[in-house]
Amino acid sequence: MRDVGAPALMSFRDLTRRKSRPVPEAFGPPLRSNKRLKEILGRHYFLSRYVPGAKKVAWVTSGAPVELLRAFDFYTIYPENHSALVGAKKNGAEYCSIAESDGFSQDLCSYARIDLGHMLSGKSPAGKLPRPDLLFCSNNICQTVIYWYKTIAHELNIPLIHFDAPFVSTKQSEADVRYMAQQLLDMIPILEQVSGNVFYLNDFETILSRSQETSQTWGTILQTMRAKPAPMTIFDAFGHLAPIVSLRGLPVAHDYYNILLEELEERVALGIGAITEERYRLIWDNIAVWYKVRFLATFFAERKMNFVTATYTNAWAETTCHLDVKDPWSSMAKTYGQIILNNNLKHRMGLMRDMIKNFEVDGMVMHSTRSCKPYSVGQFDLRRALGAELNLPAVIIDADIADERVWSEQQIQTRLEAFCETLEDAAHV
Amino acid sequence: MIPNRSEYLKQQALQGQKIMGVLPALYPKELLWAFDILPAEIWDPPGDIVKANRHLQTTICPIVKQSLEFILTEPGIVNAGYLFPHTCDSLQNLGSQVKDMIGVPVPVYTFYNPKGNFNKATRAYYGDILNEFLQVLADVHGPPDIEKLRAACELGLKIDGRRIELQQARMTDRLSLNSQQYFQLIRAAEFMQPVDYLYLLNQVEIQDEPLKSHAIRFLISGILPPNDMTLSFLDDLGIGIVAEDLLAGSRRIPIATLDPPADPIEYLTDRFFLLPPCSTKAGSLDHRQQYLKKLASDSKAQAVLFNIVKFCEPELFDHRSLVKSLKNEGLPVLSLETELLPGLSGQTQTRIEAIVEMMGDEVLA
Ligand code: SF4
Ligand code: SF4
Repeated sequence: MRDVGAPALMSFRDLTRRKSRPVPEAFGPPLRSNKRLKEILGRHYFLSRYVPGAKKVAWVTSGAPVELLRAFDFYTIYPENHSALVGAKKNGAEYCSIAESDGFSQDLCSYARIDLGHMLSGKSPAGKLPRPDLLFCSNNICQTVIYWYKTIAHELNIPLIHFDAPFVSTKQSEADVRYMAQQLLDMIPILEQVSGNVFYLNDFETILSRSQETSQTWGTILQTMRAKPAPMTIFDAFGHLAPIVSLRGLPVAHDYYNILLEELEERVALGIGAITEERYRLIWDNIAVWYKVRFLATFFAERKMNFVTATYTNAWAETTCHLDVKDPWSSMAKTYGQIILNNNLKHRMGLMRDMIKNFEVDGMVMHSTRSCKPYSVGQFDLRRALGAELNLPAVIIDADIADERVWSEQQIQTRLEAFCETLEDAAHV
Repeated sequence: MIPNRSEYLKQQALQGQKIMGVLPALYPKELLWAFDILPAEIWDPPGDIVKANRHLQTTICPIVKQSLEFILTEPGIVNAGYLFPHTCDSLQNLGSQVKDMIGVPVPVYTFYNPKGNFNKATRAYYGDILNEFLQVLADVHGPPDIEKLRAACELGLKIDGRRIELQQARMTDRLSLNSQQYFQLIRAAEFMQPVDYLYLLNQVEIQDEPLKSHAIRFLISGILPPNDMTLSFLDDLGIGIVAEDLLAGSRRIPIATLDPPADPIEYLTDRFFLLPPCSTKAGSLDHRQQYLKKLASDSKAQAVLFNIVKFCEPELFDHRSLVKSLKNEGLPVLSLETELLPGLSGQTQTRIEAIVEMMGDEVLA
C-alpha cells in the first residue's frame, strides 16, 4: 500500500544526472525539505548496496511492524516502495512483462509483478537491491502480500515471517489482540537466529518510543494541511511519507519530520501555499497513479484545485494512539491490526467523513486501481454514500498504480474535466 | 438422485427451515447445523450480472460478482443471514460492503480463517474464533446445545469419511460416475441437509474392481470444477477427472480421518488444521507443490487441468510455480481461465483437443 518515496527518490537520481524540471506557474515554491528527503532516501538505497555481509537484510511490507526488526538491526528494504519507483519512472510495464513472460498473470497486483520482474531480471532503477536474508510481511494491508512474499521465499529459498492480522469486521476482539501479540513474541527466537543478534527489551522500547513520536509528528505534519492555503499538496505528502514507512523507528526519520514540520509551520504562518491559488480543496482516495503524478498534480493545480488530504497518508498517524511502550506486544497488535486497509468500510467511511469535514474538502477523486482489491472494492458505495451525505462532488478514475498500460488518457481527462465543471458549478450555486 | 439446488432450498424454506447464505469457502458448518441452520453456499449462481455492476469494478472475480447479484436479487429463501468466511481480499471487502454499505434485511456474519504458516498460536486462536462464532449464533438463536453440536460433528465426520472413500474410489476408477455426475455429487454438499447428503453419498456404489472407463486420466486444480458442458465434452473425449484439488471440493475435506468428537471445539480445530494446502490459506508453496505432485502420482493422473477463475489472485499467484513443478514431473498441464459463463467456447474445445493430441497415442493406447 504505502508505495512511498518513489517520486522523491526519482528526483534524487534526476538531481545527480540533470537539472530539475521547471516548476509550472500554478505551483508555489517547492519545499526546502525536499532536498533533505532526497539525501536521506538516496543514502538509504545507496548504502543498501554495501550492506550484505555487514548486516542482515529484510524485505518488508509497508504495514509490517518493522520496529521488531530494528531491534535486531536488520537493514530493511520495501519492495512496494521500489515498485512505486519503477512505476514513477514509467518502467512498470517493462518489469511487469518480465514477470508475465515467466508465467505470472497480468491480473496480479502490479507492485508484485514489478517486484517479481525485478527478482527475475535483477533490474532496478535504484542500481541494485540487496538480496534478502529474511522476508517479513503482514496481511494487514492485503492478502496479496502473503502470496507474493511466499513466492519470493520459495524462489530464493529464504525464510518468511508472516504476521497474520485478522481483518476487523466490526471491532478487534481480545482474541485477535492475543493472537497477534503471541505471534510477535514467537518471532523473537527466529529473528535472533536469522540476525545472529540477541533481543534486548530496553532497546526495543527505545525504538518503539521513537517510532511512536515519529508517527505523531507525521500526524501533525498532515494536520498543517488544514490551513488555507495548504502548505503542501497530497502529492508532496506521498513522497514525504517515505521515511515513516521505510525508516520508521530510526533516528533519521524522527529528525527529518521535525525539520519538515518546522518548514510547514513556517509556510502556514507566512500564508505560503503549495499551489499559487487554492480555490478548491480535494481529497484523494487510494494509492497514487505513480506514472501520472506530475500530470495529475499539474492538471488540478492549473484549475486552482489542491489535494489537501488522502486516505492513506493518514494511516501511519491514525492508529499510533494505541501504541504503549509499557505494553509493547498488545499495543502493537492494536496499532497494526486496525489500519485502514485492515478495517471495515464503515470505519473507512467514518474516517473519510471526518477528513472531509476537518480539511474543508470540496470534492473527492477516487482512484479505482486494478491492482488493489482491498483498496478498491467498496469505492463505488463509498462514493455514493459520502456524496449523498455530504453533498460532495466526486469522480472515480480507473487506472493502475504502477502499470502504465492501464492508463487511458483521453477517457480519464474527459472524466476529470467533467468533475471539475461540477465542482465549479456547485461552488457557484 | 441429486435434487435441483433451488427447488430443494425452496422446499426447505417452505417447511420453515432456517437457511443461511454462505459465501466461499472454509467455515465450520457443524456449528450452523447445531443451531438447526442449513448453510446454502453461494459460489456461482446462474444469471446475468446487472445490479452488482453498480457496486463492483469490472476487474473483480465472477464469484464475487455473481454472489452479490444473488444477494441483491434473492427472493427471501435466505432467512437466517449471510456468512462471509475470510477467503480473499475481494470477499473480505464484499462482506463489509454488504454489511456496512449496501445493507440486507438479514444479519451478516463474518468468520476469519487464519493465514500463513500455522503454529500453536494459530491453533489457540482458531479455537477462540470458533467459540466467538458460537456465541454470536447463540445471541440470535439461543444457547447452544452441546450434545447437538457433538452430534453435528459426528455427522460431519461421517460425511468426511464417506467423501474420502469416494475420492479414493474415484482415483482407483471404482466409481461408475462420469465427471459431470461426480461433481454434481460433490457440489450437492453446498446446499443439502447433512443427513440427506450422507444418504446420497451412501447410495453411490463403489465397485470392487477398477472399471477402466477413462482413456485419459486428469487431475484438476482450481476453485470450482468446469461447467457442465465442458465436463461432458471431457467425458466425450474419454478424459476422466480422477482426482481433484478444488476449493469447492477436496480442499474442504481433511487429509486424514479424525477421532470421534469428544470436545466439539477441539474436533473442529483439529479438522481445520488437517485440511489440504490451499492458496486461500496462504501456506508454503513447497507444501502445495508436494501435495499436488503426490495427488497426481497417487491418482496416476496423466495430465493436470487448472481451472482458474478470472481475477482470482490467490490461485493466480500459486499457479505459475505449480505449473512449473508439475511440468518438471513430466506432466502436461492445461490452464483454462473461466468467467463462470455457461457453455463451451470453441477456443476451450480446441485447447482441450490440442492437449489430448499432444499427449499422443501412447497415452491413449
Ligand atoms: S494489493 Fe494493494 S495493498 Fe497489496 S501490495 Fe498491491 S497495492 Fe499494496
Ligand atoms: S475466486 Fe478467488 S478471488 Fe474470487 S472469491 Fe474465490 S478466492 Fe476470492
